[in-house]
Amino acid sequence: MIRLFRCGVCASMEWNFLAVLSDADMLLLGLLNTLKVTAVALAFGIPLGLLLALSRLSTLRPLSAVAAFIIEFFRTTPPLVQLFWFFFALPILIDVSMTPFIAAIVTFSIQSSAFFAEVFRGGILSIDKGQWEGAKAIGMNYRQSLQRVILPQAVKRMIPAFMERAIELLKTTTLVSTVAYTDLMYQANDLAQKTFRPLEVYTVVAVIYFLLIFVFSQLSIAVEHRLARSGESTVR
Amino acid sequence: MGYDWDFATILQNWPVLWVGLKGTIVIFLVTVTLGLSGGLVVGMGRYSHLKLFRWPASTFVEVFRNTPVLVQIIWFYFAFPLLTGIEVDPFLAAVLGISLNTMAFSAEIYRAGIQSIERSQWEAGKAIGMTYAQTMRRIILPVAIKRVLPALTNRGIEVFKMSTLASVVAYVETLNQAKLIADLNFNPIESYTAVALIFFAVLYPVVQATYVLERMLRKSDM
Repeated sequence: MIRLFRCGVCASMEWNFLAVLSDADMLLLGLLNTLKVTAVALAFGIPLGLLLALSRLSTLRPLSAVAAFIIEFFRTTPPLVQLFWFFFALPILIDVSMTPFIAAIVTFSIQSSAFFAEVFRGGILSIDKGQWEGAKAIGMNYRQSLQRVILPQAVKRMIPAFMERAIELLKTTTLVSTVAYTDLMYQANDLAQKTFRPLEVYTVVAVIYFLLIFVFSQLSIAVEHRLARSGESTVR
Repeated sequence: MGYDWDFATILQNWPVLWVGLKGTIVIFLVTVTLGLSGGLVVGMGRYSHLKLFRWPASTFVEVFRNTPVLVQIIWFYFAFPLLTGIEVDPFLAAVLGISLNTMAFSAEIYRAGIQSIERSQWEAGKAIGMTYAQTMRRIILPVAIKRVLPALTNRGIEVFKMSTLASVVAYVETLNQAKLIADLNFNPIESYTAVALIFFAVLYPVVQATYVLERMLRKSDM
């Protein structure tokens, strides 16, 4: 009985990467789209994160409360729920035509900005109070002190945490495949159905993701070591 | 913005959503238990001086930390059965993906905790005649785990959010049921908003509690 069952399996058990390789351009397109979504979401997410962090640190109570709420809300709800909301619900609410790409960008920009905001906040708070006072003493206003004295120091400390969040974002972008955006994961599903070779396709795709993320992780570790040597503590 | 919000349809479909909530709770409890306890074992393996333990543990951690959870879940659902002949249902695929991922992440947390303990603690353990295992269990781990408690709570929060990914392989959990309600009643706004609010309502107090915990631990002598 067991033998019979095993033989039914072994027909499909032979690894055959040919089908995957002959459609490598499909996966390549997916990979490029994955990188595109990640890059665009980062480009919006980081400035938005800074804005949220500054608002949360603001002495204006209502502003700081609103920023805190946005940050907490997007940190405590699952990104997949957010994506579905922006993709399925938002177009009904404000009558815009929503494409998977736009939904992905909106979701991941806001979602990552909530996390970036906390990194920024941690970085800014880690700067010694004397730096603010020093800037004030030489006649700088809030904006100038922030721009010229505080942020340059804070950002350097935040780099490792930033890179970690960026890697998390790269991983989270796999969710866009569920709203049919042609990222690497979506292309994998497509290819697996087309070739009837899910084992090879999903294994290859897992390896691609692994290599991509592993390289970025090693890079971030290298940067972290370098910063540690130059005497900058890291903020997490 | 002339949309009339109507949460009545959600309340009418409460039993449908409730089934999903139960699914979420079940998968959360299973994955968080497996993930955090398995992570302790892997974390100790990572810390070990023996290559026999350290190498497999390190490989495991690198593989599962450097691939997206969704890829893991889908791999276990579609590829794993072909490789092993084991039948994998959506629940098992999601449990494997999420718990192994959590094991890898929490292993690093435990390892950092163990490494943060001063060397003299090990020496003290040895001095009073304890073996490695005894020192680890009675002296090192209690303090190490206390120190990393906030990080572990954060992992737990991540696991709770990750449980929604099980819907991708059609495991019956909250998001999956909300999708069902949205498709049947044409009310995606209310359905997905309700899910977002449910997650917020559950996790917000937990996050606040984590902040309090962090402050308490910082104050206590360690």
